Amino acid sequence: MRPNPRSTRTSAVRTASETDRGRALVLCVAAWLVPGAGHLLQHRLGRGLTCLFVLPLMFALGLLFDGALFPLTPITQSPLTSAAALAERCVGAPWIATAVAGWGRGDVVSPTYEYGWVLMVVAGLLNTLVVLDAYDIALGRK
Amino acid sequence: MPSHFFFLLVFSVLVSTVFAVLQKDTLADQVRFALTMTAGFVAFAVAAGWLMRLFPL
Repeated sequence: MRPNPRSTRTSAVRTASETDRGRALVLCVAAWLVPGAGHLLQHRLGRGLTCLFVLPLMFALGLLFDGALFPLTPITQSPLTSAAALAERCVGAPWIATAVAGWGRGDVVSPTYEYGWVLMVVAGLLNTLVVLDAYDIALGRK
Repeated sequence: MPSHFFFLLVFSVLVSTVFAVLQKDTLADQVRFALTMTAGFVAFAVAAGWLMRLFPL
C-alpha cells in the first residue's frame, strides 16, 4: 500500500513547525536569562546590543538609586508587591547576580528609593516585551 | 542629589530607547520614535505636574 503523499507532507510540516516552536522557546529562555540574547542569536545585532546595554543599565541604575529586590511571598504580601517581585525577576541574569550577591536591600528613607525600584521593575517588564519580540521573530511573524 | 527632572529624563530616555528598537526597523525611524516618545514623557509629566497644582492636598 502506497503512503498518502498529502498526509506525509502534513506530517513533515507539523514536525518542522514543532521544531521551530521548540527553537523559539529555547531562544525565549536565552532572552530571559540575558537581555537581548534572543535577538543576538537571530542575528538582529542592533536590537540585541541595545537591549543588552540598556536593560542591565536600567536595573543597575535602580540599584544605585537605592531600589529594592522585592521578596516573593504571595501569601503574606500585597498582590501589587508580588507583581513587582515577579516583574523584577523577568530581567534575568542581572536579578540573579544581584540576589546572589545579596545586594538590593533597598533604603526606604532614601529620596531616590521610589525611582530605584521603579527602574528595576520596568527593566523586567521591558525584558518581557523583548522576549516576546524574539519569539515572534523566531516564528517568522516579524 | 539630582533633581526630579533629571530622574524623569533618565527614565524617559531609557524606556523610549527600548520601545524604539522594538517598534521600528530603520535607525532613522528608531531615533525619531525615541525622541518623540521622550518628549511625550517629559511633556506629559510637566503638564500633569502643573495640573496637580490646582488640587492641593
